[in-house]
Amino acid sequence: MMRNAARKIYIFLIFIFLYAPIIALIVLSFNASRTRAKWGGFTLKWYGELFQNKVILQALWNTLAIALLSALIATVIGTIACISMQGMKRRNRTILMGITNIPMLNAEIVTGISLMLLFISLGIKFGFMTILLAHITFNIPYVILSVMPRMKQLNPSTYEAALDLGASHMQAFFKVVFPDILPGILSGSLMAFTMSLDDFIITHFTKGPGIDTLSTKIYTEVKKGIKPEMYALSSLIFITVLILLILVNCTPKTEPKKEITERSKNSSKKWIAAVVCVILCIVAVFGFSTFKSNQSNEVYVFNWGEYIDPEVLVMFEEETGIKVIYDEYETNEIMYPKVEAGTSAYDVICPSDYMIQKMIENDLLQELDFDNMPNAVANIGAQYYEQSAAFDPGNKYCVPYCWGTVGILYNKTMVEEPVDSWSILWDEKYANNILMQDSVRDAFMVGLKLNGFSMNTLNENELQIAKEALIKQKPLVQAYVVDQVRDKMIGGEAALGVIYSGEAIYTQQENADLEYVIPKEGTNVWIDGWVVPKNAPNKKNAEIFIDYMCREDIALMNFEYITYSTPNEAARALIEDEEIRNSSIAFPDLSQYQNLETFNYLGEDGDELYNSLWKEAMSY
Amino acid sequence: MKNALVNLVNITKSFGDQMILDDLNLYIRENEFLTLLGPSGCGKTTTLRILGGFETPDKGQVIFDGKDITNLPPNKRNLNTVFQKYALFTHMTIAENIAFGLKIKNKSKTYIDDKIKYALKLVNLDGYENRMPDSLSGGQQQRIAIARAIVNEPKLLLLDEPLGALDLKLRQDMQYELIRLKNELGITFIYVTHDQEEALTMSDTIVVMNQGYIQQIGTPENIYNEPENAFVADFIGDSNIIGATMIQDRLVEILGARFACVDEGFGTNKPVDVVIRPEDVELVAPEEGTIQGTVTHLIFKGVHYEMEVEANGYEWLVQSTRMCPVGTHVGIKVDPFNIQIMNKPESEDEEAVGVNE
Ligand SMILES: Nc1ncnc2c1ncn2[C@@H]1O[C@H](COP(=O)(O)OP(=O)(O)O)[C@@H](O)[C@H]1O
Ligand SMILES: [Mg+2]
Repeated sequence: MMRNAARKIYIFLIFIFLYAPIIALIVLSFNASRTRAKWGGFTLKWYGELFQNKVILQALWNTLAIALLSALIATVIGTIACISMQGMKRRNRTILMGITNIPMLNAEIVTGISLMLLFISLGIKFGFMTILLAHITFNIPYVILSVMPRMKQLNPSTYEAALDLGASHMQAFFKVVFPDILPGILSGSLMAFTMSLDDFIITHFTKGPGIDTLSTKIYTEVKKGIKPEMYALSSLIFITVLILLILVNCTPKTEPKKEITERSKNSSKKWIAAVVCVILCIVAVFGFSTFKSNQSNEVYVFNWGEYIDPEVLVMFEEETGIKVIYDEYETNEIMYPKVEAGTSAYDVICPSDYMIQKMIENDLLQELDFDNMPNAVANIGAQYYEQSAAFDPGNKYCVPYCWGTVGILYNKTMVEEPVDSWSILWDEKYANNILMQDSVRDAFMVGLKLNGFSMNTLNENELQIAKEALIKQKPLVQAYVVDQVRDKMIGGEAALGVIYSGEAIYTQQENADLEYVIPKEGTNVWIDGWVVPKNAPNKKNAEIFIDYMCREDIALMNFEYITYSTPNEAARALIEDEEIRNSSIAFPDLSQYQNLETFNYLGEDGDELYNSLWKEAMSY
Repeated sequence: MKNALVNLVNITKSFGDQMILDDLNLYIRENEFLTLLGPSGCGKTTTLRILGGFETPDKGQVIFDGKDITNLPPNKRNLNTVFQKYALFTHMTIAENIAFGLKIKNKSKTYIDDKIKYALKLVNLDGYENRMPDSLSGGQQQRIAIARAIVNEPKLLLLDEPLGALDLKLRQDMQYELIRLKNELGITFIYVTHDQEEALTMSDTIVVMNQGYIQQIGTPENIYNEPENAFVADFIGDSNIIGATMIQDRLVEILGARFACVDEGFGTNKPVDVVIRPEDVELVAPEEGTIQGTVTHLIFKGVHYEMEVEANGYEWLVQSTRMCPVGTHVGIKVDPFNIQIMNKPESEDEEAVGVNE
């Protein structure tokens, strides 16, 4: 009895461990409240929004098309491989089976990177095609693994019996061998389909600009801050994969066919064939429409996630007839190697100040022709060009797009004293209620400014002092995060957080208790700007795009969508809400503050120094 | 040779460096039930597969119905094979299995339906049209395999140990059924087995093979009663095969005792082998026997007793309806007609080498 009870508890615990996270996810996908912290009632809203989100639907399409095509092609190739392996001597067959199985045991990341390198060296353009090829590659072993056992079970005489009865080799295969191995083929292709649906890592390395599958889409979305739609989407994917796996494991071992009459069987066969044909047609049409996009009148844009009003892209395409191929990145550091490696040639990128400086120094950018961009000249405030000259001397490479400050966001209900200094982040009162930015330069900026140093310093003493300060602060910090500062502050999970001003405006809309200040010791004034890389295939279109972004109505739309301060004075003048137009958060009077700086590129040695100190501080 | 349906001429076949068939010659008459008999691994299946078109001989020709079909693919040959493990198409009903060959030949639906009915009746399985092969017993499956082959009206049916997987009782029933089928259909059967009893029961002609060589061709009686060498004698039933000396025509010395026999022309004082079937050894009173011995084993076998008699240093196998208890002193007598004299092979190899037809 005791043992029985213990076993039940044991099984229960295993289930909890395995499924608790997923159950949490599914529960949250029905939570009406935006924050994870509280239950706001049951809703299907997020599922509804999911199916209206064009970008996600497009990703869903891509996912299905790739999964279907790769499963289909892998099935054909895998089955042919099995047939030819069956004809081999036992020893050779064992060796070959081993070889085909290795990729399955290989770490996915290794497969992903090797495929990426292969495609680069073959000069294949990254996109739908490269993902498809990659998926076919990793799917073939799954097909072989499920067809081969069926093949071995096959009575070799049945094939000869068919020949003996007058069938040709083709007839013998399709009428006799094929139906026998069909269950293996079906479960193999279903397995391949599931694996393809499920894959993230390999897709991540082999995808190109402007194309996302659900998993890569979720990844970029989540990087920006987890939205409830993503819970809904993840739940759906989990359920789908679960159902598929159950199907794979329950493929009938003995076909339940007993007394089916000839006619009904034939018609069901035809029916299946028809469905397969329709699916193939759809996929083919879809595939072609993606390949067709190879026309020259397009512009490849590489931008931060959530950094443009999607409506603007639609308008741009309609007005100019230029197709936008849009891709997103999460940090400057992720963007940089992609542009440097040249695997995907972008026309327009939107890096931050110090990164622009680094790209200029490494000769990755080309000079802009401002004659082609009248809006950029007329609408962007002169003071912003002055600021950007700090990293783009002579204003040759960059048109400012967004700017902002970094400051302290605090919850008025939790912090009663006035906030005007970075030092409040070292106040023990707020232990476990402080959120810091989880990035080297942002964190050190706080530590350096607190002590009155430049945030671009390379002085070891100053950096050591800043490091000590960060170490001292560590016990008080609730979490080092990036985008979650926003969500956590809205949800009232922390009292104080280091945040970018653009996010601050958004948080205030969601939670009126939040207030933003620029500390008196000074801070980072950052600028993100449009640049055109050296290897841009469509420089003309790039300039048309940049200029379009500078048009006042467009800049206004983007400002309203992303809520980061715009350097576009004409657009600011159009803001209807006076409170926002004159907001001290969105448009602070910079002349009132001292020690405002922009990040500089510190060179590789400088980066290394900062990184090693940051690592020391974090592992202290 | 005139009315030969099949003629295998100088067939040679090896797999890798292993010689399976070496210069094999064989003809099969129309309407004959011919059995290839031999221990497993002797090349029977290979011979059959060459006939069926599944293997191509390295050398030699296959003449079928007057035409050279050596290089014709299996689906173009007017003959059918019944495979050892039935090889039914498991995902098809019995009717679909039987109709397979006819559908490929685009026969009309009524023709096919009639044929299915006829074939099922022939193999005593009417009404099984919609069953699946898995739901049938081994014997039934084998009959379906035969039905599937004969609806194509082949001139020649090849059967490779078709009863090998069945149990004894079923095997005997099926043997009679096959003979009946052959007589009703009037087609030629080439039958492969390693079971000498099966071969003796069913065949018009038996071809005894060993290590790729034909040892003897003849009627069952012929093979049984007059084995041409020790291998055939040993393989066909239990025998006493004893080294002996041919003293002169019609007199042989076996284990030191002289026996009268009927064979002539072996020369004088020649070493030979003699074959004496156990049922031909007569046990008599010691003083009446040509030689004397003692019973050492006794088993009751139903129809007869089987005994072993130690005499002059040889264990004689004896079958008799009369029982002699172990320890009895007996005499051994053999009728001259029942002593079969064979040439002694001079070396081990020669044992397997082909004898001329
Ligand atoms: N495809 C093949 N490859 C290699 N050796 C084979 C092949 N088929 C048969 N053999 C060999 O040929 C010999 C004769 O085989 P087989 O004709 O099947 O004998 P049987 O039917 O008399 O038992 C055996 O030793 C067998 O191992
Ligand atoms: Mg065999």
